[in-house]
Amino acid sequence: MADEANPQAPPPAPETPAPEAAPAPQAVPATPHQGPPRRREGGPPGRRMGGPGGGGRREGGPGAGPRRGKRQFFRKKKVCKFCVERVDYIDYKKPEVLQTFVQDRGKILPRRITGTCARHQRWLGVALRRARNIALLPFATEL
Amino acid sequence: MEERQYDLIFICRPDTPEEEINKLVATLEHAATERGGKVEKTEKWGTRKLAYRVSKHREGFYVYLVLRSTQGEMIKELERRLKVADPVIKYMTVRLDEEIKRQQKLVQKRERRAARRPRKPAGTGEQAAAAS
Repeated sequence: MADEANPQAPPPAPETPAPEAAPAPQAVPATPHQGPPRRREGGPPGRRMGGPGGGGRREGGPGAGPRRGKRQFFRKKKVCKFCVERVDYIDYKKPEVLQTFVQDRGKILPRRITGTCARHQRWLGVALRRARNIALLPFATEL
Repeated sequence: MEERQYDLIFICRPDTPEEEINKLVATLEHAATERGGKVEKTEKWGTRKLAYRVSKHREGFYVYLVLRSTQGEMIKELERRLKVADPVIKYMTVRLDEEIKRQQKLVQKRERRAARRPRKPAGTGEQAAAAS
């Protein structure tokens, strides 16, 4: 199934400078729930169920478990949203942006949930606290 | 003292007439320039919903100023005025120059790195293409 997406992927790869970013968006909409198989394109499709596919697994990317044959869960690698967008300063005056990093009740979401990197989480915390101070974000939402 | 940059935000009661807010902003700007400060930007965000109740109000009229000054006394004076001003229900001043400096440093660093060596094409896409 994932191979269906493949023929689309090769053409842009040699031309664009950052093929990492290029093929992924094409493949994702084509096979929305096929995230895990996509990871395994490094090896031939026949080697799917563990076994001698050691070489392919190494290319399987981050998140690949150390144990063989028992991988049923694939955790999508979380990327820091701010790093992707190359954010140098998190503006406390934009509550719409900050809102996405806050729980329903107003708590700051931890890094392990949002995938934000340490540096940006630190800046985010500062921005959120400032936004709270000037009533752009709630300290706690009353029910 | 080197020049510092500040953000000043204050919230007025939603029922204050527009002229009164304009007057207040004008006096603040005057007070700032009198003390050797510069007003870079003045923005009126208008009436917004507050995230929580502030002195029994659920809405407030936001005004946003960007200031530059070498005199820290200016901020003191502005905050004093905001404190005594009747329509103002909340205010906040943030010093931003250090963060801006940090930001510029990061941008410079990135540019330097980009100039030194262009990003080499990463492998994963090509590998996938080769395998199929």
